[in-house]
Amino acid sequence: MRSNPLAAVLALVVALVIASCGGPASDARDRDRDATTSRTTSAAAWQRALALWGERDVRAYAAWRAVDPVSPEGREAQRRLDDADTIYRSVISRLRAGEADAEASLAALPGALALAPIDPRLYLPLARALRDHQPPDLVRAAKYYLRFLASDPDDAEAEAAVREVRALDLSSSPETATSVRATVRAFDAARRSGTLALTPARAEGVPPAALVASGIAAGLALAAIGALLAALLRPRGSSLARASEASPELHPAITYLVGCLRHELLKHRIGAASDALAALVRGEATPQQRAFLHGRLFGGEPLLAAWEGHLRAFERALGPRVDLRRRDRSFRDAARAIAAIQRLEGPLARDPGAAVPDLARAHAKLRAFDRELARLAARLVRTRVDEILLREVVSEVQSEYSAGMVALDEVRIHAPSEPVDVEVFRVDLVLVLKNLVRNAILAVGRDPAPRRLAVDVSVDVEATGEEMVRIHVRDTSPETITADAIRERRADRGLGLVSAALARYDAAISVEPGDGEFAKAVTLRFFRALGDADNDNESALASAEREAA
Amino acid sequence: MTEKRRLLVIEDGHEYAEFARLFLGDVYEIEAAHSADSALALLDAHGADVLLVDLRFDRVAPEGLVGDVDETARRLFGGDRARALRHLQDQQGALVLGALRAKGHRQRAVFVHDFPSRRLENLRTLYGDVDAVASFDAAAIRAALSRSQRAAP
Repeated sequence: MRSNPLAAVLALVVALVIASCGGPASDARDRDRDATTSRTTSAAAWQRALALWGERDVRAYAAWRAVDPVSPEGREAQRRLDDADTIYRSVISRLRAGEADAEASLAALPGALALAPIDPRLYLPLARALRDHQPPDLVRAAKYYLRFLASDPDDAEAEAAVREVRALDLSSSPETATSVRATVRAFDAARRSGTLALTPARAEGVPPAALVASGIAAGLALAAIGALLAALLRPRGSSLARASEASPELHPAITYLVGCLRHELLKHRIGAASDALAALVRGEATPQQRAFLHGRLFGGEPLLAAWEGHLRAFERALGPRVDLRRRDRSFRDAARAIAAIQRLEGPLARDPGAAVPDLARAHAKLRAFDRELARLAARLVRTRVDEILLREVVSEVQSEYSAGMVALDEVRIHAPSEPVDVEVFRVDLVLVLKNLVRNAILAVGRDPAPRRLAVDVSVDVEATGEEMVRIHVRDTSPETITADAIRERRADRGLGLVSAALARYDAAISVEPGDGEFAKAVTLRFFRALGDADNDNESALASAEREAA
Repeated sequence: MTEKRRLLVIEDGHEYAEFARLFLGDVYEIEAAHSADSALALLDAHGADVLLVDLRFDRVAPEGLVGDVDETARRLFGGDRARALRHLQDQQGALVLGALRAKGHRQRAVFVHDFPSRRLENLRTLYGDVDAVASFDAAAIRAALSRSQRAAP
């Protein structure tokens, strides 16, 4: 049989298009390759899975599932996926059940996102639940529609999803509307050209030249879709406030970074200059006060360099999820104020009368920025440790299959009557407590009766004036466990996960001997979140206001 | 002419003392100490009417800190010495004040720190005459230093 050159070109184009677009065959090869990797090097697969998760890549879920489930990494991955999946599904159920406030229903979502990636199959139900909720949250719904389409553009429901997302009224969020329009156009283009038939059956009877043209058009269109989706899904940083809302796992780092920025730059250089500047504004500054002001603002490391150092610290610690330079208006304004102050060094020396008002304005902006950061740090998530929480935890564990098989002779729960808050995201605290309670119940279940469990809370004042909240999970099992085993993650039954979660919150875990009634207590230690932080910072805020005035 | 009152500044650097000399020097004679030991020595030698205390001492070596790193690590941080050291540095001012109180020095102490009100109450319960101002505000610091314990907010 003679070979047809045009057919050969067509075959080549089709092959290239399919290969470059990562079609089903390529996906299958990728999956096989991943599976092989996970079997042979589960640790490496786990690292890759974590990296994809860190980049918010939609392939993270598959990568987590692909980690060899027999390996320790795989067991942790599966456990976390399962825990997170429960939360994701619960959120969807609550939305579908029509809870009054979509925000309340979604409150658990950041905790789940911090635990493990979401199953891409849940994007569409979540988008629809947000759309159908009264009142609807259409912007968020659109984002989950887009995630769904990105995760599997070939899904049987993709076309329905495109129709649905196209119908959303996104007038409140032009940015989201633009993303949706771009995606819908890409899908329309794909439908018009890409699916023309890169299959032999559909190619029959079509002139070869037309097929080549179609193949090229398909290739270009699919490449455009790939580029568009890559652009849409490229990890984009957000403001610090939004990142802290979306990523509770960042809270300790954000708190630390904000504390450093406020202490080293906004307090010791900007704040310390306030009185001297006020004297300058009044025209009453002494030479010493002028020198002090100059030293604070222009002495030592230039302000801009110090600011840049702090920004880089934020970027190193928080990664691409936060974009303070472009997406955080407060940081942008603060950067401008810092730059303005630095530019004023010369003018202040030459013509103070003209430069002082500009300096006062920039200084006031930075004091307001400091105030805003104080509020942000104070708002970071708190959870109330009360009997309601403890009972909920014990009840949920007892409703599980294995723990539910253990008949407890006594469950004792006690929390202080006064409100006790800790700076830990609720989902994380529940996760940690459930692991401890589950471990205790299963342990007493292996021993003869009486089988008793107690969960109680104590609060102690430290010599620093701080207060420590200790949550004790006590049981009657003589099985021993050591704090070292927990910390080094030698302990199974979820306690390794507990240790990892606690490290994020500057908390600690210890094992204490029994008191006669109980064989031992596993104790969690947290710093108590003291007072209403928003109000507690009012004196600082008022002071900043006075200076600005 | 009224004799100046004596203000002992306790900090790990020099910023508080510099600020105090500039903005409080008209009313106070300023001395500075950089650790609990040097503060005790100055108090024993010259006494002081009031104390201005920094909270964070992150420029002091571990051996110069009040508090045992190992004991703190064991009691609060699951054996993690790095976190324990950071904690001692971050909260050192309160611990230094505790050391001074233990030696019988009861002067009014003012921190420049935006403590939550509950924590300030705790510090007063532990250490008596304690106040705090949220920022380097000379008028507020001056008022806090001169306020009597009963008038503290």
